[in-house]
Amino acid sequence: MNSSNLMFTPIVLPLLGSALILMVKTFSSRKGRIIAEYMGSAIGLLLPLASLFVLYPVVREQGFLQQVVGSWDPSIGIMYRFDGLSFLMILLSQLISIPAWIYSRGRGPKENTFTALFLIQNASIAAISMCSDLFNLFVCLEVMGMTAYVLIASSKKNAAAFASFSYLLFSSTAMVFFLVGTYGLYRITGSLSYAGITTMIPEPNLMSSVCLVLITVSVLLRVAIMPLSFWLVPAHSKAPHAVSAMLSSVLLKIPLFSLVRILSLVSIGSDIGLVVSYAGAFTALFAVLLALSQKDAKQLLAYHSISQIGYITAAWGMALHAGVTSKTGAFLLSVAFFHALYHAMFKALLFLSVGTTTDYANQRNVYILRGANAQLRASGEKVPITMLCYFVGALSITAIPPFNGFFSKTLLTYALKETMQYTLLTLAGVGTLASFIKLSRIYLPAKPTGQEETKPFPKSIHIALSVLALFCIAGGVFAPQVFNFIKELLASHPEQEQLSFKFFTSSNLLKVLYTSLGGIVLFILAVSKTGTKLLSLLKNLPRSFSDAFFGFAVSIAILVYVLL
Amino acid sequence: MMIERTLIFMIFLVGFWAIIANKHIIKKIFGLNIINAAVVLLFILEGSRIGTQAPLLDMQVTNIVDPIPQALMLTAIVISVCVSALALALSVRLFKATGSFDIDVIQERLSHEQ
Repeated sequence: MNSSNLMFTPIVLPLLGSALILMVKTFSSRKGRIIAEYMGSAIGLLLPLASLFVLYPVVREQGFLQQVVGSWDPSIGIMYRFDGLSFLMILLSQLISIPAWIYSRGRGPKENTFTALFLIQNASIAAISMCSDLFNLFVCLEVMGMTAYVLIASSKKNAAAFASFSYLLFSSTAMVFFLVGTYGLYRITGSLSYAGITTMIPEPNLMSSVCLVLITVSVLLRVAIMPLSFWLVPAHSKAPHAVSAMLSSVLLKIPLFSLVRILSLVSIGSDIGLVVSYAGAFTALFAVLLALSQKDAKQLLAYHSISQIGYITAAWGMALHAGVTSKTGAFLLSVAFFHALYHAMFKALLFLSVGTTTDYANQRNVYILRGANAQLRASGEKVPITMLCYFVGALSITAIPPFNGFFSKTLLTYALKETMQYTLLTLAGVGTLASFIKLSRIYLPAKPTGQEETKPFPKSIHIALSVLALFCIAGGVFAPQVFNFIKELLASHPEQEQLSFKFFTSSNLLKVLYTSLGGIVLFILAVSKTGTKLLSLLKNLPRSFSDAFFGFAVSIAILVYVLL
Repeated sequence: MMIERTLIFMIFLVGFWAIIANKHIIKKIFGLNIINAAVVLLFILEGSRIGTQAPLLDMQVTNIVDPIPQALMLTAIVISVCVSALALALSVRLFKATGSFDIDVIQERLSHEQ
């Protein structure tokens, strides 16, 4: 088979799998239904990984593959471009979606429509990663959004329906602004493809800048950088656990990295990158303080998603500022993706393990829940895998060596040294540690509170958690190799030298020590009387519907102001 | 052209106001539809700058409109229908759960749910 046709398989195979799963109901025997469902899932989840394996040497050799869908004339057809960035984005979504799906087999939602939607979501992610024109990006983002809304609402809780509704309203409105931006660029250039747009606007003028800002801000709303992150916390904390894991591990990053394609081609992209980088660093710090003030375990994790995406955007923005084809830019972009990949692993692990724990303990309040492991054992978990996996995830996110978070955070802060973001991100690291001490207290031993009702403890939970924990540990052990793999795929020049950065230097380890001590001190301060009062002030900030639109307007205004 | 654009902008503002300021969730969905319609009109207007006839190239029609915006808007309309359908389905579920269409009341009543 022609390898340039093979590039469509990450889109087509999940769609095929989901079609098969939707047809399962027509099978008369129960056994046939189960076989067909598992076959559909295997086609959708495992085969794209196999095709990535085949595509890897091609991408390494040729740099990119380009093909028009349905062999139309390139001037009217839809062009897809598969390169190193697409490869990495699809790899990220596959690596996380397989454990998340396995988890959903155990703790639900188990309906076959769930799996079908889950696969459609993967297909749309693959399509976003390969888009090379604005309108197609709009369509694919909407498809991804639609599946996300339905998956969030698939929880039995009505609060999930409300979270899904407000997410839908925000992001659909933002996408209308995306369309307005597309309209403006089409009007100026008469073209929709990235290449066409950039050749037609050599000189940035007011209109093209405003249009690009509209597009950037509406995509960044999906990425949830403050002040665009109002929708995230209810959506991520109320969704079923498998969906929460997918949302914060994958769905936040895909729109961010798809923006690189257009912004790296236009000259004002570097200014936008600088602003977004500062916004990201502030987000990292501010969201961590909000996380420290939460009492709901999953909401705390959701604020950490915002904070960690702040780290990623800080490096991402500086990469755009330096220009992604330059040496520093390529390095920064690789660092941003490196942290995105590792964050995906440990955040999925944390959502799934904390979700399991709070489900079996029937309590989500971190101030009340104690002795969670005893309750898990009472429900039939013999080996405390859930707790161990939680601690792997917690040590990863707080950047304790030798887990993967240490490597990506150390490299990320090293790449941003001598900028203001460095200070902000270091402070955010202190806050991360403090809030995870707070969350970890749910596993403190406590007096048994009498007989708990026993729910079955499915094996698939353990499989999913162990796979993700293994990723975190292996990511730590093979960190330099993983980073070089990412860097080779993202760099435009193949003759890049290997990473010479040393992770285990005394200064890096000392920094971990200082951060940890700072985190413990901050935690003690936060649980003291004054600290609690201050944090509750922060927690009770008004978060109404119109505030969110105010945030949207402010971010557009700031960007336009900076660019002029 | 200027008058048409101004009118479209006013339609857009009406819809946007409904989304931001109206408390009724069904009216918010209406607002979403209205801003979508405004953008569709904007694209169609843009396409008609170079001609007014339907682009039937086989029948030798001259003075045709730019067909690309029309093709794009067909897709955008389909997407907006899907989004509205889903939003309406969610609002039915919210109404069944809380007995209200007011967004503040819904939020208030759902916050007591564990």
